[in-house]
This record gives sequence, C-alpha cells and structure tokens, in this order.
Amino acid sequence: MNPFKFIWAMFFRLFPCPVPVGLRRIGNPDRKSPVLITCNFYLTVRRLLRKLRGIDAWLLIADSKGVNVWCAAGGNEFNTHSAVSVIKISSISDLVDHRRLVLPPLAAPGIRAKEVREQTGWSVNWGPVRAKDIPHYLRAGLHRNEGMKRVTYNWHERLDTALGTLFPFFFLGAMGFLVFARHLLLDYLAVSIVTFLFFFFTCPWLPGKRGLTKVLFLDAILGILLFVFEVSDIQTNLSVRPDLIIAMVMLLFYGTELGGLASNMPSDLDPFLARLGIGGLGNVAFAGTIRTELLNDFRVLRYYRDACIGCRSCAEVCPQGVWHMDKEKRVVLAHIEKCPAFLACLVQCEGGAIKAE
Amino acid sequence: MFHYQQKFEGAMLSCIFMKILEGRPRSYDRRMDKISRGQVKRVKEMVIPEVSEGAQVLEIGCGTGELAEMLIARGATVTGFDSSREMLDVARNRIAAKGLEDKLDIQQMGVEAMDGLQASSFDAVVSTLVLTELSDDERRFALKHSSRVLRPGGVIIIADEVVPRKVIQRLFQTLVRIPMLALTYLVSHTSTHPIEDLPAELKTAGFTIKKEIRSQGDSFALIVGSLPENQ
Repeated sequence: MNPFKFIWAMFFRLFPCPVPVGLRRIGNPDRKSPVLITCNFYLTVRRLLRKLRGIDAWLLIADSKGVNVWCAAGGNEFNTHSAVSVIKISSISDLVDHRRLVLPPLAAPGIRAKEVREQTGWSVNWGPVRAKDIPHYLRAGLHRNEGMKRVTYNWHERLDTALGTLFPFFFLGAMGFLVFARHLLLDYLAVSIVTFLFFFFTCPWLPGKRGLTKVLFLDAILGILLFVFEVSDIQTNLSVRPDLIIAMVMLLFYGTELGGLASNMPSDLDPFLARLGIGGLGNVAFAGTIRTELLNDFRVLRYYRDACIGCRSCAEVCPQGVWHMDKEKRVVLAHIEKCPAFLACLVQCEGGAIKAE
Repeated sequence: MFHYQQKFEGAMLSCIFMKILEGRPRSYDRRMDKISRGQVKRVKEMVIPEVSEGAQVLEIGCGTGELAEMLIARGATVTGFDSSREMLDVARNRIAAKGLEDKLDIQQMGVEAMDGLQASSFDAVVSTLVLTELSDDERRFALKHSSRVLRPGGVIIIADEVVPRKVIQRLFQTLVRIPMLALTYLVSHTSTHPIEDLPAELKTAGFTIKKEIRSQGDSFALIVGSLPENQ
C-alpha cells in the first residue's frame, strides 16, 4: 500500500490517481480462469484486489486515465479503445482457452460490447455492479441475480463518495476561516462535520426528489431557528447565530451538488451553471452533452420497437432497471421515471432502437 | 556512437507540458515551439536526414502532422496514426492546404491496432514525443510491431524523453520535473513518464542501434535503430 496515493485517492477523488495498466494475476490463474477488466484508478484496483482474495483470476487493468470506472466511462476516458488495447497488448488470448470477459456494468456508458467483440473476438459479460459480489458471481458461473445489476446508494456509499468529493472544498473552507475568521474555525469544523454526517445519513428520507429541495427544507427549519434566536433574548456563550448560518450554507452546498455525488439523482448545479453560460470546468462538462440535454429535457430518450433485435443489452446494463423484457423477447421502456441518463443503453443498443432526440 | 548536444534540453520541458497543450490542437505546434524555444522543431529536423528519400514511412502518433509534412517535403510517403481525432483534424487540414493528400494516409487508432498493419511494408518507422505517453506494455508492443512492419534493413527513429544514466543527472531531472508535473497534473489530469532504457528495448525488438544522440542533461534522446538486411 502506498499511503500517499491512498490519502490522495481517498480524499481528493476529483483528481485522477493512476496505477500502471496491464495484466495482473490474482491467486494462481490457469487456462480456464475468468478474465476481468477494471479501470486504473488506484482506489478501485485496491478495493477490487481485496474483494478478490482467495480467487484465481486474470485481471486486466485498462487505461481510464486514473479515474474510477463510472466517471471515466461517462467522460469517455474508459472506452472501447482502453479495453481493446489492454486485451491485445497483454496477450491474454495466449494465456487462456476461453474468450469470455467480465466487465463492470458501470463501464457500459464507455465500452461498447459489440465493438470489443468485433475487434478482439472476446465476448463481454457484464458482471456485478459491486466488487464484493464478484466471488459469488464467478462461483455461480457468471450468473447475476437482479440485486447485482442495480446501483444502490446506502449510507456508507453516500459517506464514501461525499467525503471523497467534498473534502477539497472543506479544506479550502477551513483555509478561508483560518485566514479571515480564526475565532470561528473550530465552529466551522464542528458544524461541517455534523451537517455532513446528518445530511448524508438522512438524505433518502428528507422530503423532495432533488438535492436542492431536500436542503431547502432543512435550511427553512434552521432559518426559523435563527429567527427565533434573533427575536428572543436568549443569552448564550456559544456562537449560535454564526453556527446556524454556517450550517445553512454548508447544507446548501451539499444539496446543490447531491446529484453529482449521488449519480442516481439529477444534478442541480450542472443545469444552473449551464444556464449561466458556464459550459464546463476542466474535464467536467455541464452543457452540450447528451446527458445534460436529457437531464434538462432538451432531449428525450426514445425507443423504436421495430428496430429492436432483442439483444437484451440495454436491460443488462441499466443500473436502475428502466428496461424490461416482454414475452416476444423485446424490451419495454418500463420505468422511464427512474432513468438517470447514464446512457449505457444508448451506447450498447445493437439494433439502433434507442435514441436521444 | 554517442553524441552529446546541448541544444535540445528544452525538448524535455515540452514533453512535460505536452499534455496540457494537447487540449488545444490548433495552437499545439506553435505553443510547443515556444515552450521548447524551437527545440521540438529542431528535433524533428534531426529526424529527417535519417529517412531516405522516397521512403515509405510509418509515423506512430502523428498528431498535427508537422513531422509528416517535413517528411513528405523530403519525398517520403507517410502513413500516420494517432488516437486523438482533434489532432488528426488539424493534420488533415494542414496536408489538404498543401495539396499533399496522396502522400499522406491518416488513421485514427492507437498502438494496439498496429497488429493490423501489413508486415514488411515500410522502410522507416518514426515517432517523436509519443512513447513517453504509453504504458510499458504498450511501448513494447509498439516496438515489436514496428520491427514486424519494417522491411529488412528498415530503420526506426525515435526522439523522446529518457531517464538519464547518471544518478546526479537523474536527481536533477526529478527536481526539474516535479513542479512542472504538478502543474501539468492539475491542468490536464495526466502526465508522461520518461523511458528507462530505450536502446535495450529496441534491441529486444530486434533492432541494432545505429545512432544515439543525447541532450547534455541526458534527459532527451534521439535514437536510430535498424533491422538486419536479410532476415
């Protein structure tokens, strides 16, 4: 373990943290052992290796520019080219007898299964969403149950992604207080930790669909409290008023970008920035992509049943279960309301039946 | 066999900043030249005489097509590939403006697709400031297939950033690189890594080293390798 890389990948997840690409042996793999592909983000590889203890497999680490699977696939940094490249260059075809790849399904917005098959002769099996299910999935003969296909967002996943993404901003905030309002620094630290834990533990149960409505609800409560303190004559040694204001600002900050962190919710910040004319920051695009246009209702996901060839790809890769198979073995757009515009179905569709128009 | 030349130390700097500039394909050449004080261009000029007139050349990572254009001016026919579509657009425009389309064949692909190129079909393989962007496996793969696509007696010419052989120069290179790498990482979220022992890797791929020119700080090299006449 590299402590510097661990801390960097853990707390500064907005920045890439690459490991060398190439083939790694897990346990003692032989010519029949499964072949898995993942990205080259330090934390992903580290966590995956821990979950794969006791298993014999070949692991191909493909170039995703040091970014995690989902973000890199969405940003087209973990793409068909990355997968084809590592398959060919690692000479994995000489080491095993089969031609079955296991890919993380969250890579589906970037890696086209059809193109990988055509360019390398390897067939793609979408594995479980979470690495911890891989041993079970492999023992079951590459079979997934429904739960393995769905993205969850439970409390530890919420805290993990939120901390990894928000930490640099906490840090900047702390610097600001250190320089301009040192007497409030401890208040800031305490209030941000409390609001952070409270919000990300409770957010599924807060009223509202979007992050912004959830925090406005909390901010309204805090606003009333603040008002009560202003009009009443309660004496206290604590700096209650600034603390309440810090809490309101911090909550607003968490909630506005909840969509960006949660991934299964639309972002409030992206459309807002796009409307202001800010199209993107660095590698992150807020406007002009199919995803942002779908989320802002400039485009609609359409399905053409006549073109559907029944390849099931869309149903296999959708982490929200938007697509269902009907009796004629064609798909049905069953739960469009759950669609978070991951675009995996659009990318994987082999018949050209799914379009964003 | 070894020559030390002071004049292209600046090419190393451009290797580091290259990743930032790649985001701006249209001004890429101009900015690279500015940062390296004209040395990137000079390195490319040093590549040209190594290629015989009228040769069929494969360029790995042709980018904006600057070197390809210089090679064509020497009478060569060039097949170039690059993984960046934006860079290739610039290259196509450049060649179209000069009316040289029949001399240049451009493909958008990465080195992993080199196994699709026909064996023994080129007289020279050239590559400048590209190999440092590849992983170790990718680089070995590219060199292996370079030797495969070359005819007997064919040459490979590589100009890129390398790790100096002396400890003190390594230390100097590391010290120079760190602040610039940090800046590059923050802006472009990527970096490059200099090659440890390029001559040895070329030998493994079947080449004999014909010429090796190193910059004074030993951090940049131009290496010419060749295949035996009769295989």
